[in-house]
Amino acid sequence: MEPEEEEPEEMEPELMEEEFDANGNVIPRKDKVDIGKPTNFALPPKAVAKEDRTTTPYMTKYERARVLGARALQISMNAPVLVDLEGETDSLNIAMKELNNKMIPLVVRRYLPDNTYEDWEVSEMILP
Amino acid sequence: MKEQVLEQAPKKIKQIQFGVLSPQEIVNVSEFEVTQRDLYTVQDRQPVKYGMLDLRLGTSDKIASCETCGLKQQDCIGHFAHIRLCLPVFHIGYFRAAIVILQNICKTCSRVLLSEKDRRTYLRKLRAPNLENLTRKNVCKAINDKCKKVIHCPYCEGINGTVKKAGALRIVHEKFRSKKVADEYEKFKSTFSHALEAAPEMKAHISKAQEDMNPLRVLNLFKAITDEDCELLGMNPDLGRPEMYLWQNISVPPVCIRPSVQQDGASNEDDITVKLTEVIFTNAHMQAGLNQGIAILNLMDLWDFLQLSVAMYINSELPGVSNLQPGKPVRGFCQRLKGKQGRFRGNLSGKRVDFSGRTVISPDPNLRIDQVAVPELVAKNLTYPERVTSHNIERLRQAIANGTEIHPGANYVTLGSNNMKKSLKFGNRAQIAGEIQVGDVVERHLNDGDVVLFNRQPSLHKLSIMAHYAKIRPWRTFRFNECVCNPYNADFDGDEMNLHVPQTEEARTEAIELMGVKNNLVTPRNGTPLIAAIQDFITASYLITQKDLFFDRSQFVQICSYLGDAELKIDIPPPAILKPAQRWTGKQIISVLLKPNKESKVLVNLEAKTRSYDKVKRPVMDMCRNDGYLVIHNSEIMCGVLDKSIVGDGNKSSLFYIVMRDYGSIEAAKCMNRLAKLCARWLGTVGFSIGINDVQPGEILASKKDELVKNAYAHCDDLIHRSLNGQLENQPGCDIEQTLEALISGELSQVRDKVGDICLTELNKYNSPLIMATCGSKGSKINVSQMVACVGQQIISGKRIPNGFQDRSLPHFLKNSKVPPAKGFVRNSFYSGLTPTEFFFHAVSGREGLVDTAVKTAETGYMQRRLMKALEDLTTHYDLSVRNSVGAIIQFTYGSDGLDPAVLEGNGIPVLFDRNFVSTLHMLPPTEDDKKLLPWQINEYAEKEVASSRWAKNCSKEFILAVVTFVKTHIAGKLKIIREAYGMMSGEHNPGEEYEDMDIDEEEPEEVKRIVNNKLTVTERQMERFMYVCWDKFMKAKIEPASAVGAVGAQSIGEPGTQMTLKTFHFAGVASMNITLGVPRIREIINAAKAIATPIITTRLVNNTDVKAARIVKGRIEKTMLGDIAEFIEEVYKPDECYIGVRLDMEAIRRLQLETDLDEVAKAIGLEPKLKIGTNNVQSHKPDRLRIYVQSKDPAGLYYSIKKLKRALPEIIIKGLPQVNRAVINEIQGSGGKKELLVEGYGLRELMNTEGVVGTQTRSNHVMEVWKVLGIEAARRTILDEIKSVMDSHGLTIDPRHVMLLGDIMTSKGEVLGITRFGIAKMKDSVMMLASFEKTTDHLFEAALYSKKDAIEGVSECIIMGIPMSIGTGLFKLIKRDSAHDRIPPRRRLLFDP
Repeated sequence: MEPEEEEPEEMEPELMEEEFDANGNVIPRKDKVDIGKPTNFALPPKAVAKEDRTTTPYMTKYERARVLGARALQISMNAPVLVDLEGETDSLNIAMKELNNKMIPLVVRRYLPDNTYEDWEVSEMILP
Repeated sequence: MKEQVLEQAPKKIKQIQFGVLSPQEIVNVSEFEVTQRDLYTVQDRQPVKYGMLDLRLGTSDKIASCETCGLKQQDCIGHFAHIRLCLPVFHIGYFRAAIVILQNICKTCSRVLLSEKDRRTYLRKLRAPNLENLTRKNVCKAINDKCKKVIHCPYCEGINGTVKKAGALRIVHEKFRSKKVADEYEKFKSTFSHALEAAPEMKAHISKAQEDMNPLRVLNLFKAITDEDCELLGMNPDLGRPEMYLWQNISVPPVCIRPSVQQDGASNEDDITVKLTEVIFTNAHMQAGLNQGIAILNLMDLWDFLQLSVAMYINSELPGVSNLQPGKPVRGFCQRLKGKQGRFRGNLSGKRVDFSGRTVISPDPNLRIDQVAVPELVAKNLTYPERVTSHNIERLRQAIANGTEIHPGANYVTLGSNNMKKSLKFGNRAQIAGEIQVGDVVERHLNDGDVVLFNRQPSLHKLSIMAHYAKIRPWRTFRFNECVCNPYNADFDGDEMNLHVPQTEEARTEAIELMGVKNNLVTPRNGTPLIAAIQDFITASYLITQKDLFFDRSQFVQICSYLGDAELKIDIPPPAILKPAQRWTGKQIISVLLKPNKESKVLVNLEAKTRSYDKVKRPVMDMCRNDGYLVIHNSEIMCGVLDKSIVGDGNKSSLFYIVMRDYGSIEAAKCMNRLAKLCARWLGTVGFSIGINDVQPGEILASKKDELVKNAYAHCDDLIHRSLNGQLENQPGCDIEQTLEALISGELSQVRDKVGDICLTELNKYNSPLIMATCGSKGSKINVSQMVACVGQQIISGKRIPNGFQDRSLPHFLKNSKVPPAKGFVRNSFYSGLTPTEFFFHAVSGREGLVDTAVKTAETGYMQRRLMKALEDLTTHYDLSVRNSVGAIIQFTYGSDGLDPAVLEGNGIPVLFDRNFVSTLHMLPPTEDDKKLLPWQINEYAEKEVASSRWAKNCSKEFILAVVTFVKTHIAGKLKIIREAYGMMSGEHNPGEEYEDMDIDEEEPEEVKRIVNNKLTVTERQMERFMYVCWDKFMKAKIEPASAVGAVGAQSIGEPGTQMTLKTFHFAGVASMNITLGVPRIREIINAAKAIATPIITTRLVNNTDVKAARIVKGRIEKTMLGDIAEFIEEVYKPDECYIGVRLDMEAIRRLQLETDLDEVAKAIGLEPKLKIGTNNVQSHKPDRLRIYVQSKDPAGLYYSIKKLKRALPEIIIKGLPQVNRAVINEIQGSGGKKELLVEGYGLRELMNTEGVVGTQTRSNHVMEVWKVLGIEAARRTILDEIKSVMDSHGLTIDPRHVMLLGDIMTSKGEVLGITRFGIAKMKDSVMMLASFEKTTDHLFEAALYSKKDAIEGVSECIIMGIPMSIGTGLFKLIKRDSAHDRIPPRRRLLFDP
């Protein structure tokens, strides 16, 4: 259901007024970037050094799910298993066992909103 | 087969650039120009060359192949052609844009009508880097406004008038509209003089002559626009120049998107094909006319027709254009995209899927809560592609051998070597089974233990889709444990549910880890358990824990064996009674259920009031007479019964919740499994049913009820009598009628409650409905009493049954009768049977319920969709801030404390200290060698602990303070009080280092020490454990980065909407001060509505104790009209003058304490804005007379002017705020008679400044007004408070963090944006997201016009494009550890290795 509703009347657009000097020329504002094409801000992210990392040492449930999934996929595709199987055949269960033994050879790359990332080895993270 | 998620895709879509093809580009992509109107040749019914179905465009029939690429129908992607239009036409999608551009440019020289100074200003703004959509729109609007006012072009001095739409597809330029160009207009008119000579009848129409902006003119004007001017129009000249938005060439789409349907010899063509043939035909006709000459009138007609056809081709729902062929509506391109079934919502945002099933559901308590029984029939159709490895090869071989018809079989095999897919339906299965190798993929049947997604619509929250483990069973229904009914809101009266099988290892892992039933036992709405015992399980738990239930050994052991499926080790506890015979109680069963054997570590400690707690004050609560206080000590039930508050949902003191918090969700699930099995099996053997004798009232009950009803009737009669005689004192803010209604309703609703109470006491203890009502499994007190005693008052929209006939509800009653039976009071019970009138009234109110639900579901569904669209892309990031998909910060810390609502133990706090402490004490009883702590040692321990780095670094200051305070007051403080009570040294302070080891209790007698130790002993081990538990629970309560907090918040607010029933609600304490509640109110708030149904401002008074003072303030606020205080208003006609005479009732003014006098009234009349009387026309004659003279130029009209004025005069507002409807003095509840003022209406600013009102403590429930008056932060606060108050009034709890997020997104742009299509369009920039919401085509056209880009960052865009989104498991990446760390062991040496 999408009832037709009246559009609320538009507010007056608030525009920053330009300032002019005596001759009517525009005084350039200092806080504004001068006329130009938009710059491309999509620079490649930068790494954060291991000792400067700030994010939680706990593995989040999303990381856990993803790590287990990726590892289970590897195992299901005949990757060498790094723990004793003890009769286990289900790839997810094997992956869990590897995770509990901190044997999963993967790194979680956490992207921060300031365009940097931290690398956390699965083996060094605290399991919840 | 589904693809795995690829991290390094070969190509990544960086952004989508919207735009249009230029006429040249259309020709470039085209294979040929379509010129033939016919579709098929007459002779052999083949597609015509150069026609719309030319085989070079691809083919829609199965046999032919494409003449361009030579591929068959399935493989050919289709090819374009084009039509060259001999004259341009408008594009309907850019018609408005064309008008705006024409308004902005000079119609002579094509320059934008801005002075050089303005151009530079605006250009600078439009060229700002990373310009937001909203800002650009505003700038363009400003330019348009400015240009519309220009008459003479600053560059060529050409005249410009108003450009506007005339008719459906015509633009007119009213060049000479302005009076300033009258001379030119005359000149223009004179050009017609020659024509007039020839046709004098034309004269009357000359004034209508305007400049017609036909597409050709417009095209030429547009072509002349400079690139710089294009920027001022908001466009990007590199990608889309204005002339590209007119049709010059039309691109003909491939046949595959407009297939012809062959039907027994005849073919059925798509609407697109039909419309385009029409275009070709008209175009050819025109071309011929242009070449050979044609009457101008005919040419214009043809051009208009072409214009219309092209418009219909794009959008067939044109306003102002009637459909030429009535019957089935034409489907243009806009219609293909639009709406719920359109391309965006029907095919891109949601898709049809394979590997899914749907069937009826039924219950099975013998399944685990995380299982779903899948019928074998379904299991044989749903497959999972499993790759062959060395350890599953035998199993898969067997599956292949079994084939498609025997259950653990397989349907297809894909060979790893050559990707060949073989069906197992046919062929030699044994051979295929023998030949499979490691690396092949077998699509095997669904097996026990496979992960499946289970879902029931409407999917209102994330718990509506959960991952279960499949269990293959015979028969035809999906079955699951009844405990899981709640999250799906499912019952078994014919409901159907859906099942999906994730197809990759990653998908199933993520599904079970994140969506698994066991990981979703609590609702994120407020953290209460949602998966819990229901209905019969609650009844059985209640019955089995009754005090008078005993079992002998055989019975007890039998019941214990119900707990599991013979796989459970059970240690029988010692019997509760040893002599004269060994007997076990029912409560012991529950103890066994919680902790079946000595190996189990589950030690539950819980004290809670149950529903049957009798609320009598007594020193120890466990002595409740109804056994209504539950005490569980180390998993043993000491006393109390189990009922809904203990095993049911929605309660944080629930048994399973405690188990989940302390021992994890796996243990909680196990307990629930055991309870389900026990209850189903035990109740099955003892039996529980309902019969006619359960609803027969006893003699006492019947007589008591009759007595009650009789008294109530008498009382009502008395009230009616008194009101007729005018002896009834009006309630504040009500008239007589309302007062009477309020009193009678109150009286009658009391009857039902009282009768209900009698039922509870009078009915048999073994009465089944009563048992169900008391333990909370089904039904309420009211339901029982309706069956047994009295159905009670029937209500529609909050009132008694209204009159459907003249002055009465039904013709069975006297007119104007107000007695209870005449207004819908049903005296009978369902057992005794309703009289015809009662039955009718009951049906009336039953109908209202049905209508309400029907209306509500539609309304909440739409509300939920809007909320979801607004909040979908908000996530917590690794820096714990909440941001949207483009990275804009919404909250610095989620919910201002960074805690997850789903993991909070108490109400908004992560740990309930009290329960955890008691639990610790019980779990770690002091032993001989434990160090018993003194109060100062306890404090010191806690302080040392919180100073440690793991506390200081991770925990918030508030939490640390709370812990320390608890330890100080509730542990050390309590111990100190106990010690002092027994005359021991308090031990509060550290005695200093040298005395630290001394035993300060050495002197005390042994008995006293023992008593004190019995009351409270705290050992170091216990403190250590307690502090650890607090820390651990706090750490777990932190919100995890990457959580989809927005989506969860939207669901948490939207989902309870469906549960809101009543529409309005009475203001507490004040009769007749209604406030809108429920769904309509929530809608008002989130829509940020300007006008709300019940605006109410609550004010505090400077003098809040005196009623008189309050009345004076009320007088200042409430508007007083002249009619209210005038004794009379008369017309006076005298020979020399006539006027209106008014006499004021000065006595009334004095009594009402209106602070006004004659002069002020005169002034108010004189200054009344609408009547324009003027102060000098009002004469005041002391003491109480006013004369109002009427000035009239026309003596004949004077009489009527006076009459008119006389009618208007009583409405003149003398005093008070005009926007206020009324004000009511209200007593603040529980404040000892303090008064506040409730004001209905607007005018917060004026009210705050009224003398006698405390402006700083004035609050309004109107979000928009608060924003205007007090600012954006106050508006946010109002949103939060108002949503909370609505939810509270319906007994729904929502974690404040969800509401906070909603408030923040609505206010984060600096203005209050509603969650509507207008507000959301201002919040987001993504075209795809907006197009998938509402107004699909408008957004797409706009995007193309302004050459917008979409970076595909948000949730909707990613779904549409099929790209993993950056929420949850998509926020981070997985990297293979570099080889230096590789721990893959070297291959083991084999025996025969060299």
